[in-house]
Amino acid sequence: MSQVMIGLEIHAQITALNSKLFCSCRGNYRDLRPNSNICEICCGLPGSLPIINQKAIEYSTMTSLALGCKVPDKIMFYRKNYFYPDLPKNFQITQYNVYGISSMGIDGKYELDGIKQIKISRIQLEEDPGRIAYSEDGMNVRNTALIDYNRAGVALIEIVTEPDFTGPKEVRQFLNKLSLTLEHLGVCDTLLEGSVRCDVNVSMNGGNKVEIKNINSFKEVEKAINYEITRQSSVYGRNLKIEHETRHWDDKKKITFKARSKEEEHDYRYFPEPDIPVIVLGNDFVANLKQRMPELPNERFERFKSKYELSDHTSNILINDKKLADFFESTLKLHFSPVEIANILVTEFKSLIDDDAESRDYLKNLKVKPEHIAELVKLIEGNKISRTTAKDILVKIFESGKLPTEVVNSSNSYKIADEKTLMDAVQSVFDSEKSAVEDAKNNREAINFLLGKVMKFTNGRADAKIAMRLINSKLAEH
Amino acid sequence: MISKEDLEHLAQISRINLTENELEKFPTQLEKTIEYIDILEQIASDDSVTLDLHELEFEELRKDEIRISDEKQLGKNITEDGFLRGPKMK
Amino acid sequence: MTKLDDLLAYEVVEGLTEGQFTAEDYVTTIIKRIERVEPKVHSFITLDTDGALSSARIIDKKIKEREDVGQLAGVTIGIKDNISTQGIRTTCASKILENYVPTFDATVIRSLKVNGAILLGKLNLDEFGMGSTTEYSRYQPTRNPWNLDCVPGGSSGGSGAAVAAGECTIALGSDTGGSIRCPSSFCSVIGLKPTYGRVSRYGLISYANSLEQIGPICRSVRDLVMMLNIISGKDALDNTSMSSTPISIPSRINKLNVGIIRELITDCDQEVAKLIYSASEKVKEIGCSCEEVSIKNLHYALPSYYTLASAEASSNLARYDNIRYGFDYPIGEYKWDTYFSNVRENFGEEVKRRILIGSYVLSSGYYGKYYLKARRLRSLLKLELLELFKKYDLLIGPTMPILPFKFGEKIDDPIKMYLVDINTVIANLAGIPAISLPVGFSNGLPVGMQIMAAPFEEQKLIDASYELEKVINIPRRPNSI
Repeated sequence: MSQVMIGLEIHAQITALNSKLFCSCRGNYRDLRPNSNICEICCGLPGSLPIINQKAIEYSTMTSLALGCKVPDKIMFYRKNYFYPDLPKNFQITQYNVYGISSMGIDGKYELDGIKQIKISRIQLEEDPGRIAYSEDGMNVRNTALIDYNRAGVALIEIVTEPDFTGPKEVRQFLNKLSLTLEHLGVCDTLLEGSVRCDVNVSMNGGNKVEIKNINSFKEVEKAINYEITRQSSVYGRNLKIEHETRHWDDKKKITFKARSKEEEHDYRYFPEPDIPVIVLGNDFVANLKQRMPELPNERFERFKSKYELSDHTSNILINDKKLADFFESTLKLHFSPVEIANILVTEFKSLIDDDAESRDYLKNLKVKPEHIAELVKLIEGNKISRTTAKDILVKIFESGKLPTEVVNSSNSYKIADEKTLMDAVQSVFDSEKSAVEDAKNNREAINFLLGKVMKFTNGRADAKIAMRLINSKLAEH
Repeated sequence: MISKEDLEHLAQISRINLTENELEKFPTQLEKTIEYIDILEQIASDDSVTLDLHELEFEELRKDEIRISDEKQLGKNITEDGFLRGPKMK
Repeated sequence: MTKLDDLLAYEVVEGLTEGQFTAEDYVTTIIKRIERVEPKVHSFITLDTDGALSSARIIDKKIKEREDVGQLAGVTIGIKDNISTQGIRTTCASKILENYVPTFDATVIRSLKVNGAILLGKLNLDEFGMGSTTEYSRYQPTRNPWNLDCVPGGSSGGSGAAVAAGECTIALGSDTGGSIRCPSSFCSVIGLKPTYGRVSRYGLISYANSLEQIGPICRSVRDLVMMLNIISGKDALDNTSMSSTPISIPSRINKLNVGIIRELITDCDQEVAKLIYSASEKVKEIGCSCEEVSIKNLHYALPSYYTLASAEASSNLARYDNIRYGFDYPIGEYKWDTYFSNVRENFGEEVKRRILIGSYVLSSGYYGKYYLKARRLRSLLKLELLELFKKYDLLIGPTMPILPFKFGEKIDDPIKMYLVDINTVIANLAGIPAISLPVGFSNGLPVGMQIMAAPFEEQKLIDASYELEKVINIPRRPNSI
C-alpha cells in the first residue's frame, strides 16, 4: 500500500460578522445586485485606507484557541502583491510568518476523536477578493470578465494543517468536526454558499506534493482526494514521476486538471502593511476570550454526559446537531428531565425533522417549540399518557403546532387508569384471544402479547402497569 | 548588474510596459540606484525587525457595524446588471 | 492698507469678520492675481474660480447674518493634487488619473471646509509625489516665482509657488521625503511636515504610506498654527492617525537647547551654509543655546529612504490598472495582463523607475538585503534622534543642501536628483516633525532653514519659529511677480 500524505488549507468566511474586514460594507454579500455592496475602501479607490474590524480579531482568535493554537500577543498584517482583475488594490492584505510571527495562531493541534491529532500550522486573517463572472456560462476564460466587488474585503480565516492526514476518510472526519466547531463558535456557517473553500495537497510514496485548488465545498473535498489518489497511483504504476504542480478541481467533470503554469510561479513580494499598525492584544485578552467563548463541541459533550447523565450515544447525536442540542437545553429550562427529553428528541423528534427537509433547515419553521416537548414529557411523567400515545401526539403537534394538552383532550388520548374500564378491555381481549390466554399460563411472552392487545384495544391509552396487573390477576383466576 | 532581461522581468512582474527609450537608459540608471542603496549592507542584521510604527490597542479597533455607502464608486463600464466590464481573461 | 492678495490668513479672517472687506472682493483680487501670474508660474492643474466665488458669497451672507463662519473663514487655499477632493478632478499630475474624480473628500478637506476655507483649486506636483522639482509632472513644470528659470522644488512645487506668488493665501502639500519642506525652502515660504500620525492620511493618494504626512504651506507662523490645529486629529478612517494637543501661539518662550547638525552644514553649498550660520546666530538672539551635534547614521538615511519609499510605492501604485477609474483607454480585445501593462506604460519615467526598484527590493531574494536593512536603519536612526532629543529641544540645519537650480539641471541623473533630499528624509524616516523657515537669499534665490523636534513636539517648533520670524526679516513676496 502506498503512503499517502494529505494537508489542508481551508478558507472560511467569518459569516458571523456584520461588516467586512477592513470597511463597514455588509459582510453578507449574497443575493445582492452586483457592485451594490462596495465603498471606496473595499474598491481600493485612491486615498482610501483599511480599517480593521475588532470582532474579526475576536472570532479568529477564538478559532485559534479552539484549534489548540498559541496566540501571539501582538499581531500584524502583510501585503501579498499580485495582479488580478478581482483584486481591487492588486494586493491582498493578509498575514505572513516568514519574517516574524504575524498570524492569529500557530502550532495548534486538533484531535480526530481518539484516532490521532492533526497539527495545525497556522491560523490567519485575510480579505476575500471580488468575484469574476464570465459573459457565458462556465470558466470559458476567453470571454470578457464581468467583475463584482461585493465580496471584496469580506473577512476570511485561513486554517492550514500539516500533511498529517493519511486518507480521505480522516479528512472528512476533520472537516465535519471543524464545521461543527465553527458552528459552535458561531464564527462560520459552513452551509452558506461559498462560505468555505478548501485547497488540498496530496503526495504519495514520498513523492512531490500536488496542490488541488478550487474545491468549493467540504463535500467535494473527499471526492477530489479520491480522484487524485487514483490518478497519482496510476502515474506511479506506469513508473512515471509526479511533478510538483497545481491542479484545479472540476466539480462538474469530477476530475483534477493541471492549472495554467503561470499561476504557479509567484513571488508575492510580501512586506508589512504600512496602513495598519501592530495590534496589541494585551496580556488578559486570551484569558478573557476563553471565558467568554461559546462552548466547544467536546466540552458540551462532556457536560451532557456528566450533568445530564446522558449516554454516549444520545450525547453524540445531540452534539452533532447543534440546533437540536440547543433545542434540548431550551426545553430543559422549562422542565428539567434530561433523559426523558433527550430520548424523545433523538428518536421520534429527530426522525420527524429528518423527514421534513424544510424544518431540518434551521428548525426555523418548526411549529414544535421547547414548550411543546416540555409539556409532553410532563404528561408522560405524570402518567397521563403512555409513551405510545406520546408518539402519535408528537406527530400531531408537529403538523398543527397545538400544545400537547389540547391535542390529548381533543383526541381523548388520556391514559386509562380506571380499573373498571380496563377490566372491561382485559375481558374483551381474553374473550377473543383464547389460545393466547392458554399459552400465557405458562409462557411469559404470551402475557406481553395479551398486554399488547389490551393496548391496541384501548388505542394505546391503557395504563400498562395497571393493565398488566389486571391481566395477571385474571390469569390467576383461571 | 541589471541586464535587459532583468529589466524586462521586473517590468513584467510590475505590469509596466517600457518604451524603447526607457529600455535603453533604465538598465544603467537602475543599476546606479541599486549600487547607491548597496551601502545598506553595512548595517548589522538583526533577526527581530524593530517595528517603528506605533501600536494600536485592541480596544481602539473599529466596531463591527454596517454603514452603507451610497456613492457610486465605479464610474464607467458597468453592464445593465451592475457588473464591471473587465478585459478578457484569456 | 495691505492689498487683499497680500494678506496673511489670520488677517483675512480678522478683516472679514470685522467687515473691512467682503470675501467676494478678496477672492476676486486673488483670482485677478492668478490671471496675471499663472501664465508665468503654472502652479495650478485645476482651478475652480466659480466654486471659489460662490463659496465666498456664502461666507459673506453668513457673516452678515452673524452666523459662525469658522476659523479659516473665507481664506483661499490651494490643495496639492494628490489629496482627494470630492467632485473635483484629482490627477496626481499623472496621465493614469487624468479623468479621476473622487467620490469623497479627504478628512483634511472636510476639516477645512467646516472651518470656512475656500478651495481655489488643485496644485501641481511631481507625478504621484515622486520628485524634488515638479519637473516630473505630466503637465508643465511649475516655475519658481523668485526666478522663473529655476525649479520651485518638489514634489509640492505648485503649493510652494502658489503661496509665494500670492495665488492663494495658504496651501496644503504632502511630504514623503521632503516634499513640503523643499518647495517651502526654494520658494521662501513656511512649510511643516507634522509628526507621522498627527494628520489623517485618509484621502491622501498614497506614494509611501509609512513615511508621508499632509502639511500646511503658508507665509506666517500664525497661519501655520491655525492650519495645523484644524487638520490635526485622530481619525477613525485612518488607523495610523493619533490624537495630539493643539498648538498655541507662544506669548513668551522658554530657553531651548538647539543642536546644529554638523554633517548637513559641512556638506552643503557655501552660500547656503553662510545663511544658515547667520540664522543660527538669530537662534541665539532669541534666547536659545546653539551647539554642533552629529548624527552617526546620517549617510544611510537616503539609501534607506529610497528603498522603503520605492518598495511601498510599487505596491501602492499597483491598483492603477484603469478598470475601475483612470483615463480614457478602451479595453478592446486586450487580455487583462496585456491591458494592465499597456495602461501602466503611461506612468512617467520617474514613477516607473521607482516602481521597478520597489519590485526589485521586495523580491524574495533581495528582501533581506535591502528592505529589512532599511527598516533596521530606520529604527536605529529614530533611536539616535530620540537620544539627541533628550538633550536638545530642536535640531537645525539647512533644508536643502543647494540653492534652487535651473530646470533640466538634474533631470538626466536620478541619483543627482535623489541627493537633493539628503537633509529632509531624516524626519520622514524617524516620523518626527520638521519645519522649513525662510532665512534669506543668495543672489535672489531663497534659502530655508529646517528645524526638527521630537515626535509630537510641534509646539517647540512653533515657539522657535514664531520668535525667529520676528527677527529674520525677509521679503515675503517676489517683486517680479
